[in-house]
Amino acid sequence: MEILKISESDFLSFLDKKIDEKNEKVIGVVKKGSHFVFNELESSDKLALDYDVTMLPPKKYFQPPKELLLKYKPGDSESYQAVNNCDPMAIVGIHYYDLAAIYMMDRAFSEGERDEHYMKKRENSILVGLYPTKYFKYRFAKSVVRDQAYKVADLMMVKMNGEYIVEVVSEKGKEFIKGGNFIKNNYTLQEIDDAKNKVKDDQKIPISVELVPDYLGKNHAHPVWEVFGEKCFSCGSCVLVCPTCYCFDVRDEVELSLAEGKRIRVWDGCMLEDFAVCADGHNFRKEKGQRFRHRIYRKGKHLPEKYHYFGCVGCGRCQYSCAADIAGPVKVLKYMEDNKQGGQNV
Amino acid sequence: MGSKPKVAFFDFACCEGCQLQIANLEEDVIGLTNLVDVVEFREVLTGSAPEYDIAFIEGSITRKEDEERIKDIRERSKLLVAFGQCAVSGGINRLKNNRESLDQVKKEVYGDSYNMPHLDTYPTKGVDEVVKVDFHIPGCPIDKNEFLSVVKAIALGKTPSIPNYPVCIECKLRENECLFDLNEVCLGPLARAGCGAVCPSNGVPCDACRGTVDNPNQNAMHEILEKYNYTVDEIKRKINLFGVKPEVKK
Repeated sequence: MEILKISESDFLSFLDKKIDEKNEKVIGVVKKGSHFVFNELESSDKLALDYDVTMLPPKKYFQPPKELLLKYKPGDSESYQAVNNCDPMAIVGIHYYDLAAIYMMDRAFSEGERDEHYMKKRENSILVGLYPTKYFKYRFAKSVVRDQAYKVADLMMVKMNGEYIVEVVSEKGKEFIKGGNFIKNNYTLQEIDDAKNKVKDDQKIPISVELVPDYLGKNHAHPVWEVFGEKCFSCGSCVLVCPTCYCFDVRDEVELSLAEGKRIRVWDGCMLEDFAVCADGHNFRKEKGQRFRHRIYRKGKHLPEKYHYFGCVGCGRCQYSCAADIAGPVKVLKYMEDNKQGGQNV
Repeated sequence: MGSKPKVAFFDFACCEGCQLQIANLEEDVIGLTNLVDVVEFREVLTGSAPEYDIAFIEGSITRKEDEERIKDIRERSKLLVAFGQCAVSGGINRLKNNRESLDQVKKEVYGDSYNMPHLDTYPTKGVDEVVKVDFHIPGCPIDKNEFLSVVKAIALGKTPSIPNYPVCIECKLRENECLFDLNEVCLGPLARAGCGAVCPSNGVPCDACRGTVDNPNQNAMHEILEKYNYTVDEIKRKINLFGVKPEVKK
């Protein structure tokens, strides 16, 4: 892998050039109030790469919260026309745990029935990663993420002494940086590695990540589900902000004329009360505790058993977003460890 | 429904602001009249009809005369839709139910005239406490696009869909900073979404003007509000502003 470097000011000029060329939308992290969001850039002025975490992960660009899937004329089965807005984009400054999450999303949307709406957007995107430069008190990514980031990143950046070290991960990344003032790197691999690990996580899950699936399986009846479920608002914040949650609902919207219709998909989530309502009004996860357990099982048991990686990337957004202060996997697992049930825990 | 459904609008105890939302549909009024036949709508046109396919009811029920009138409308309507928070839950009008003496309420509001016969009201009821309601459109006032979506759904023979998730969802989608983090107390975790989180997006805490979700976790809210040093009375006042069910444990 080729390793280059560029000064911070040259990097900003490079982005401005990219924005002017309009070959792709350039998206980066910007400040909103006292927190950060991914947003399209009009210039590099607003770029805020020294960020702790963004409110929503970059998944919003590949699976928009409300996405038009097709247009149709009600009653005319020949009229269905797929619509997919997948203009090229480059997303700059994605932390490694969010890249790991995109890798998981790619697996979910490409395996089996390939989801063209998602995959075309992904194929038309360039992902520029960045090792976090700022501490975030809820982050525990180091205890759950392995090397998935490099499976999707086109470029990975490490900030060192006012410069960005740029690892050229893919051909697409190499093409993207042509014309920028990227020069030969003179740091040793050890120095770069130290810089990558400079920002520490305070939090980590209390048991080894490989043991979590079995641990959860043995604790299906643990009181944590009921105790935390009682406090849960079923507000869905935790699943909306989660970079590995992709559940959606599909709806038809018809114009007042009743002659034109649109099929849209919108974000949905297993923590919402009506998520598991099926035919005849039956709700197969009616209780808050059931929904709470399902979410943790999904991240810590079902996905690891299917894909052999932990289904949570430790970004800490769920804990940060939870008004009831119960959503974080670290918090849940710690409670389970502190309240071991006779012989039930591993 | 073969030919265009016959639609009527009625108001009870309310400010008529929700009907005004419909009058404010502007160019969509034409689309609406292509879809339905509006046969009775005092705020907008003259005329009446003996029977209706859909009766839209605004306002709460607070008098014996109201009760007789709504029962009569119900009998002459195939479907009845309560629209606006007054009709759905009693709305702001329901605040008086939390007071000890209704006579005292009347004296406060109407002064010396409080004993006039037309002011002879009883505790406020939502429409579904008196007659069967087929669908509810929440909000103070209603969202005109949500009203249109309900009309379209009924016209297509589908069940209208009203969000049953809290305002938090819409705040997250807009990437708003949580008002709790700014030391504000917001009813978002209990409140029924559908407004696009318009108040929190402008820095104003949610007052649940669309009522709550079907099963709000009031006990959890109680804990949070206690953390912010709210007294039980203050909590009740906040939660009950728009006629939300008053049960708060403790």
